[in-house]
Amino acid sequence: MSPYSSFDSELVALLPRLRRFAHALSRNPADADDLTQAAIERALRSRDQWQPGSRLDSWAYRIMRNLWIDTVRARVRKEKVEAPAEEAERIGEDPTAGMDASIDLSRMMAAMERLPDEQREVVALILIEGFGYRETAEMLGLPIGTVSSRLVRGRTALLEMVGT
Amino acid sequence: MVSDDIFFAWLDGELGSDEAARVAAEVQADPNLAARAEQHRALRRSLGEAFDGVADAPIPDHLLAATRRSEPEVVDLGAARRSREARTWAPLPQWAAIAATLAVGIFVGTMVPERSEAPVTVEGGKIYAAAALDSALTAQLASAPAGDVRIGMTFRDQSGAVCRSFSETATSGLACRNGGRWQVRGLFAAPEGQSGSYRMAAGMDPNLAALVDSTIAGEPFDAAQEKSARDKGWR
Repeated sequence: MSPYSSFDSELVALLPRLRRFAHALSRNPADADDLTQAAIERALRSRDQWQPGSRLDSWAYRIMRNLWIDTVRARVRKEKVEAPAEEAERIGEDPTAGMDASIDLSRMMAAMERLPDEQREVVALILIEGFGYRETAEMLGLPIGTVSSRLVRGRTALLEMVGT
Repeated sequence: MVSDDIFFAWLDGELGSDEAARVAAEVQADPNLAARAEQHRALRRSLGEAFDGVADAPIPDHLLAATRRSEPEVVDLGAARRSREARTWAPLPQWAAIAATLAVGIFVGTMVPERSEAPVTVEGGKIYAAAALDSALTAQLASAPAGDVRIGMTFRDQSGAVCRSFSETATSGLACRNGGRWQVRGLFAAPEGQSGSYRMAAGMDPNLAALVDSTIAGEPFDAAQEKSARDKGWR
């Protein structure tokens, strides 16, 4: 058996979790699936950089997170040029188009979108994906204290937005 | 007094057992802290309820297909042989060149072969189906494949025009009815080395699937709707 075959099947097994993470980061389900697809493609292209025996999930999450950051930066650059048009487009956009999204999901995605990016990724990894503080700090290349304080600010803001 | 960092680390199970016991005692003794702990537990439950539905939902085909896009390293001799055979008779190689130009968004009219059997033709900056592709789009039902072109899905776009996806050995695409003709909205070449049989196993080309997703309004036609639309001239 080639080592690649276990890489492939593990990656497929990770898809549901990666897709959930993409939804936590993205502003709508369509963007989330674009992000998921881009992450799969990047992971397949970079498979030689994954060390067999190390955790595939953290590695794949890191790929997705980096792609998402690239997308966010590109969007910020674009919006500087054409901000009014972009806003106008989004007003008429159904955030759940093409997906059987529950009301809960739409509401939570909208709330997550209002968090600053650096808080959103920490909330997503710890409160939704269930990673520990240390795993998250390693994945993001941040000191654990930074992760912890971003998490406090993110979850506090989220609670104010959605109540419980 | 419990700091925010310590309070939440306790809530998330990040503290060692001694410290966790100490914080638990403080929280129990303080109704404000206890209420806050409960609110944040509820928040985490709500996040789980909202997002776990995504992880539990079936994975869309185009995402599954994306995981199969790289050639497996495990060599299946039978597949390799079939792929060679498929390549030796693969017709219409010019499609690949056309699709490549579309993929980068630059269409050079001179790249379309000036042959009557070319599957597409360019007029007024628009690309239309021609010859065998035009016939297949006009006459063929998905359930009754004939010739080299296979019809996939038929549906209406947001403007109400009928669209049909199609595939041929190494190429697939989408065409929509426009002015009594089939205007090609997208044409995608399989990555080099992927034979027709491999692609069929992998399902719809992910680029085509994305184009269909962004074009379709409502549900694809079932067999009866497809036949009825054909009999009414795709209006």
